[in-house]
Amino acid sequence: MREGGCFMGKKEAFSKMFKAVQEGDADALVSAVNEVLNDTDPLELIQDGMMPGLKKVGEAFSAGEIFLPEMLMAAEAFQEGMKVIEPKLAQAGKQVKSAGKVVFGTVVSDIHELGKNIVITLMKTHGFDIIDLGANVSPTTFVQEAERANADVVALSALMTTTMTYQRDTINYLKERGLRDRYIVLVGGGPVDAEWAEQIGADGTSTSAVGAVEIAEKLIAQKGGTS
Amino acid sequence: MVNFIDVIDRAATGPMMSQKDFDVKVFIPALRRALKKFDITYDRKEYVNTDDDLANRIFEAAVEFYSEVGTYITDTERVIQFTKSEILEAVEDVPKEAFFGEGPDRCIMKGRKPDDNELPHCHVGSGTNTSEENALRLVESYARISKAKTISIPIINTLGHIRTAAGAPSEVFAAIRAMQYGREGCRRAGRPGLGIIDHVSSASTGVSTIASSAPQFGARPSDGWLVAPFAELKTDYSSLNQTAYLTAWGANIGQEAGPLLGGYAGGPEGLAVVNTAYSLHGILVIRATYHLIYPIHMTHVCSSHPDVLWATSASTQAIARNMNVPYYTLLYAAAGAATKMYFDEALACLLMLIASGSGIEDVHPGKARQTDGCTPVDMEFTCQVGHACKGITRKDANKLLEKIIPKYVDQLTDAPLGEKVNECYDLDYFKPKPHFEKLYTEVIKEIKGEYNIDLVRFE
Repeated sequence: MREGGCFMGKKEAFSKMFKAVQEGDADALVSAVNEVLNDTDPLELIQDGMMPGLKKVGEAFSAGEIFLPEMLMAAEAFQEGMKVIEPKLAQAGKQVKSAGKVVFGTVVSDIHELGKNIVITLMKTHGFDIIDLGANVSPTTFVQEAERANADVVALSALMTTTMTYQRDTINYLKERGLRDRYIVLVGGGPVDAEWAEQIGADGTSTSAVGAVEIAEKLIAQKGGTS
Repeated sequence: MVNFIDVIDRAATGPMMSQKDFDVKVFIPALRRALKKFDITYDRKEYVNTDDDLANRIFEAAVEFYSEVGTYITDTERVIQFTKSEILEAVEDVPKEAFFGEGPDRCIMKGRKPDDNELPHCHVGSGTNTSEENALRLVESYARISKAKTISIPIINTLGHIRTAAGAPSEVFAAIRAMQYGREGCRRAGRPGLGIIDHVSSASTGVSTIASSAPQFGARPSDGWLVAPFAELKTDYSSLNQTAYLTAWGANIGQEAGPLLGGYAGGPEGLAVVNTAYSLHGILVIRATYHLIYPIHMTHVCSSHPDVLWATSASTQAIARNMNVPYYTLLYAAAGAATKMYFDEALACLLMLIASGSGIEDVHPGKARQTDGCTPVDMEFTCQVGHACKGITRKDANKLLEKIIPKYVDQLTDAPLGEKVNECYDLDYFKPKPHFEKLYTEVIKEIKGEYNIDLVRFE
C-alpha cells in the first residue's frame, strides 16, 4: 500500500512540479518537491519531476508562444527547486548530466546583457550548465573562467560594432595561450553575422537564441560530447 | 520637476540590488501587475490602435509601473526612484517643443496627436554602419532632401584599416571624424544650419560623445544629443555623465530606447507600457527635450511585425495624448534596400506612425545590419509619405495596413537582403541607378493605384 500510495503521491507531485515550473511558481515547486523528497531518487526528481516543465517552457519560447519573462521565471523557479534537491544529490553522490558547460559573457566595454540573458535562459531549459560572467568581461577573464570550469563552450556576446572587436581579441588570446582547440567558441549579438564569425575564427554564430542552442548542441556532439 | 542634482544623488543613495533582482523581482512583477490592473490587452483585431481609453490606460499603467520600478544604475547597483506625483509633475513641466538647427534651417519639433492634421516631423538619415569613403557623400545626400527637417549622420567604425573599439582612442577619433563629416556634408548641401539630432552615433561612451562635442569639430547645442539606456530601464554613470555635461551646456538631449518585444517587456501589451515608461525615464533621468523610440521584435529583429506595429501605435498614442512631447520613431524593415518588400514594410510603418501621432524617420532597411545598407531613396520616400499622408486617421490607416501587411508578413523570416547603397544609388549625381529608379517608379505607381496615395517627388 505504501509503495502504491507513494507512487500515486509521486505522480501527483511530479504533475504539480511540471505545472509549477511552467508557471514560474517557486513556492509551489518547492512545496511539491518537499512532498516526495525523502521517498524519491533526487536525479528522478530533477529529470522526471522538474525538467519536463522547463523543457516545455523552452519549446513554447522557441515557438514564439511565450516570451522571456515567462521563461526567466520558470528558470528561476527551477533553481529554487534545485536548491532543495542538491543536498540529497550530494548525499547520494550523484550528478545531473549536463548538456554542456558554457562560460558565457558580454565582452569588455559592452554593458548590454539582454541578448546574452535570453540565450542563457533558453540554454538552461535545454540542460546546459551555465557560468554567467555578466557584462564587460575581459579576454583574460573569459579564458581564466573557462579553464577553471573545464568548459565545453565559451560564448561571447557583443551588441555594438565597436565591441565586436573584443570577440576577436578573446579568440586571439585563446590562440596565444594555445587553448583555442580546447573550446567551442560561439559569438553572437546584434551586429554579429556569419561572415564576422568566420573572419575572427569563431566556431559558430546565430541570429536567434534558438539557433544558438542548436549550434551549441551540434558542435558539442561533433566534438564527441561534453568534457 | 525633480532637479537633476537630486537625480544623481538618488543614483548614489537609492535602494541597492543586483541587476538580476531588478529584472526578476522588480521589473517583471511590476509590469505584470500594471497590465492586469489597467486591463491592457491586445485582441489582434487591428494594426493601429483606435481605442483612446486604452491609450490613456497604457499611460496610467506606465506611470504606476515606472513609480514602482525606477531606473537601475549599474555602477552603483542602486535604483533611482520617483513617486507618482513627481512623475506627473515632470510630465506637466517638460517642454512641449524642441528647437533644432540654426538660421534658415532652424526648425521646431512638436508633439502631435493621434489623427492629427499637422505635418509629422520628417527626420531622415541613418546612424548606421557606413564605410568611411561613403560617409561625407551620404550626409550631403540626406541634407539635400529639402523636406527633411533634421538629419542623422552615419556611424564610422573604421579608421583606415583599424576597426574602432568602444572606449578606445580609436572611438574618440571616429566620433570626432563623424562629427566633421556631418557638418561638412550639411555645408556642401547648402544647409549649414541643419540640425543633426542623432549625436553621437559613432560614440558608445560618454568620453567619445563629450570629446566630439567641441565646437571646432562642428558640434552645436542646437543639434540633438541622444542618451541611451540599456535593456530595460537601466543606465550607467557614462550616460549620466553625458546628461550632466549636456545639461550644463544647454544642449538638446534626446531620450532613445529600443525595447525588445519578447524581452523583459514580454508581449505587445508589455512593450506598449515599457515604450511609454521610457519617455518618463527620459524626462526625469536623462532630462530629455525630445524622444526617440525604436522597438524591435526579438525573433524577427525588425519592427514591421504586426505585434510591434500595434504596440508602437498604442504607446505613441499614450504619449501623444498625455505628454505631448516632441517625439519620433525609428522602425526597422526586414527586407534590405532597393527591394519591393522594403517599401511595403516602410509604408506600413510610416502610416501607423503618422496616424498615431509620432514624428517619422526613414524605416531602416535590412534590420540595419548591413554596412552601407541605407539609401537616400528610403529617406525621400519617408518625406513623401509624410507630406502625402498627414491627417490620415487611425481608422483609414488600419484599412490600408490590412492590404499592405499581407504582402510582406510571411516573408519576414526570409526577407531579401537587398543592395548596398553603392550598388543602387549614384552618390556622385545623387540619384538612384536605373534599376532602382525603375523599381521606385513602379512602387510610387502601385501606391497611387492601390491605396490612392499620391507621392510627389520633390526637387
